[in-house]
Amino acid sequence: MTLSIPNTTGYLTEHCGDDAFATLKGYTARGGYSAARKALRSKPAELLELVERSGLQSRGGMGLPTGAKWRCMPSERDGPSYLVCNAGESEPGSFKDRLLLERAPHKLIEGILIAAKATGAEKTFLYIRGEYFRAARAMERAIEEARSAGYLGKGRLRRRFAHDIVITRGAGAYICSEETALLESLEGKRGEPRNRLPLPGGLHAFGRPTTVNDVETLCHLPHIVEHGVDWFRSFGTEQSPGTTLFGVSGHVVQPGLYELPLGTPLDEIVFEYARGIPHGRRVKGVIPGGLSMAILPAGQLNVPMANESLRERKAMLGAGGLIVMDETTCMVRVACIISGFFRHESCGRCTQCREGAGWLHKLVQRLERGTGTRKDIAILEDVARKMEGQAICGFADSAAWSIQGLLRHFRDDFDAHVRQRQCPFAGSFEL
Amino acid sequence: MIRFTVDGREFDAEEGQTILQALDAAGVLMDGVDVPHYCWHPKLSIDGSCRLCQVEVEGFSKLQIACDTPVTDRMVVHTTSDRVSAAREGVMELLLLNHPLDCAICDQAGECKLQDYAFAYGVARSRTREPKRAAKKRVDLGPTIVFDQERCILCRRCVRFCREVPGTGELSVFARGDRSMIDVFPGAELDNPYSMNVADLCPVGALTTRDFRFKARVWNLEDVPSVCSGCSNGCNLYMGVASNRIYRHVPRRNDAVNDTWLCDAGRLSYAEVGAAHRLDQALARDAEGMLVARPYREVIDAAAARLRRVVDVKGPGVVAGVASARGTNEDLFTFKRMLDALGTEGAYVALRRGESDELLVKEEKAPNAAGARALGFAEAEQVVERIRGGAVDALVVVGSELLDPGLLGSVDALADLDTLIVIDTHKSDLELVAHAMLPERHAAEQRGTFTNHSGRVQAIAPGVEPGWEAYEAGAVLAHLASALGLASFEGGYDPVGVSKSMARSVAAFEGIDLSTVGEQGIALRSADGGG
Repeated sequence: MTLSIPNTTGYLTEHCGDDAFATLKGYTARGGYSAARKALRSKPAELLELVERSGLQSRGGMGLPTGAKWRCMPSERDGPSYLVCNAGESEPGSFKDRLLLERAPHKLIEGILIAAKATGAEKTFLYIRGEYFRAARAMERAIEEARSAGYLGKGRLRRRFAHDIVITRGAGAYICSEETALLESLEGKRGEPRNRLPLPGGLHAFGRPTTVNDVETLCHLPHIVEHGVDWFRSFGTEQSPGTTLFGVSGHVVQPGLYELPLGTPLDEIVFEYARGIPHGRRVKGVIPGGLSMAILPAGQLNVPMANESLRERKAMLGAGGLIVMDETTCMVRVACIISGFFRHESCGRCTQCREGAGWLHKLVQRLERGTGTRKDIAILEDVARKMEGQAICGFADSAAWSIQGLLRHFRDDFDAHVRQRQCPFAGSFEL
Repeated sequence: MIRFTVDGREFDAEEGQTILQALDAAGVLMDGVDVPHYCWHPKLSIDGSCRLCQVEVEGFSKLQIACDTPVTDRMVVHTTSDRVSAAREGVMELLLLNHPLDCAICDQAGECKLQDYAFAYGVARSRTREPKRAAKKRVDLGPTIVFDQERCILCRRCVRFCREVPGTGELSVFARGDRSMIDVFPGAELDNPYSMNVADLCPVGALTTRDFRFKARVWNLEDVPSVCSGCSNGCNLYMGVASNRIYRHVPRRNDAVNDTWLCDAGRLSYAEVGAAHRLDQALARDAEGMLVARPYREVIDAAAARLRRVVDVKGPGVVAGVASARGTNEDLFTFKRMLDALGTEGAYVALRRGESDELLVKEEKAPNAAGARALGFAEAEQVVERIRGGAVDALVVVGSELLDPGLLGSVDALADLDTLIVIDTHKSDLELVAHAMLPERHAAEQRGTFTNHSGRVQAIAPGVEPGWEAYEAGAVLAHLASALGLASFEGGYDPVGVSKSMARSVAAFEGIDLSTVGEQGIALRSADGGG
């Protein structure tokens, strides 16, 4: 499938429908790289302060302030340091970085130059997930163009700041978009999250200080540098400024990508932008931020899509992938698919995650087949609780939360499977 | 030095130590302060994957893994709270989900950490109705190790060991999630000089040595602490003994000597104790020149008579003594005393040499070369020319190392000796030329001390009894000396007494005897014994 253009555009995706925008000529014709020139004349501290004041939050999942992530870089350095661009996008329901990589590669390069200047990185590793062949090719072409034009490597900007980008490809593991697992994979090791000390410390690639930013976050940077903090803060909410790319999939009339300000209500995205549920059916639930985030039931869809408001409902914005499900959806079947995904993708390192994710999947499979009991539901809840907060990374939490969310809001579906000894939705939702 | 509190008890820790490291250094881990753990091992890097060692640390809302949480000054840790117990229960239940209940046929049963911790921290009943993961029960990882995939709990100690200790890195984790499996890389075999340590590291019965597999139940084995006699490193080990037979060697931790490791050669060296070619009777040459079995006492007397005749006719200068560097300090001290009492030209020690490595294996293939040097024995190279030149008429030799290619190479040069008295554990070509052969106890059958390459004096203890009349080399020599009429050998031979008189009369051994060395050994007083 060719990913063409977003359904609604803002500053991020403007011109993304234009094939020429992916070329250096097309990008510079529309004002591209002027922000990079401006940034390279600035001092790193000025850029850091600018981004901190802008309130830009990372768009990759956790929603951490980008400025705070940059501040983790040590001020004293005795050798090279790196920027890593996380293009490992693998959250089911999330497909926004792919559009930027394929349709706006020079915007990403420009964002990388700005972040590299601000953090003092001398090289960027662009880690692209294995399945993104088209995106990798687009980036290769764009990097080559940027090199020959002197934006990267030796050349035009070199007197002020020499920088280059190295593309590395993942092999398709979900966990490799977790930043420490990504760094392990980047170093050629098995993709597993690293142990984190209980106190915050900086990240390292190849033993050197490293900043990891995701694709969309970096793509906001040229706009912030070009138009300033006040302009950026005119979009979105006080705590979550700017626009973001919402990927809408599932039971909607018009699935696709929507660039909208943060804080846009979920029901507005589903019913106005994505034009509602087809076949006159009613919505049953929406997973707001990709598979890892707890589901929201039909009654809670008036929530503004920003981290501060979603957290109150035990959900998160994540990578902005909305999965919409209508009333014919069996939530036990959904639990099967989600827990199957987490079982398949657990790296297997921590006991809770390796064994727990497998057990969750087996339990919901049993329930979906109609051979489960009330006790199985109780065990399901207990296992999910025991997986929470005990593993190295957040994967086990996600696996637990997704099931807990379904149990919290759709307990009736689970009970009905036990009572009727079969799936009451049989045939309603074929995979 | 920083101080922290665990369950109300105060401990010291070094800056940078994690909670488990500090408890291990204090000697209380699982011995006073119980923090169960699988993936953590004192001599391997921290993995933090089993999540069993979670403890409550005041100031942190989540439980923290003790293996990877650095101790800070005045940190307060709780290991017995309800939250900790619940977390341990949770981990144990998950680990047992896919672990087969085949303890009845599992070699690890009885020393299995999964069994132990399930009893101590788990729940008695299983809640799962799901079938357990089926996997391969018998994977040959290499020549020494057999792997049971079903039993593996993926603590990955073996993977880290191969990468970090021998540096061979044959093992890795393959696949993901609950399909994860330990295996060798394609085309590779787990084949390095330390491969069998992975079986000790494995907390469950997933990795077993081909050597010990299905040989004995471990609860029938008595662990006798001793020292390996394979080379001059003197690795500490336990002999696993049942029914007067050694079934295995396993390493015994000594951070000053071998950490927690043992080389494969040393591990398998117990086989020589029960070997078919043990010298199991005293032999004397009869009137026809045939070597025949005679009562021990008779052979001692005959040997003493031959030796006495040589000394009386030609003087003690034509008598030489060659000791073995596998003898204990007490054996060697007794030998030296006998040779001094006879007034011979010197005392020599024969030493086998071989390959060495950076880790444990040393070039000198005997446990007590340094002890022999400290006691005044000279290298046997110096006596070889005297023997070849006919300057030696009578030879008392312990062991057969004198026949090694670097020394005599064969028995030819010994054929014309007037008297050759051999004391040995095993039969050898010396039978062809010896006038008397006296069986000697193996290191596994005797008490005594060895001095390792770095001058550390360590005790050995008898694990088994020989099935025939045999004494320590020191005792045989004392009997011989007594029969020769030499003064102060009448009292027989008691290793403890000999070690005490050695401590009194040899400066390097001052204060070091069998009653003081303990289980971890003591360094020699001076650098004399340095190898």
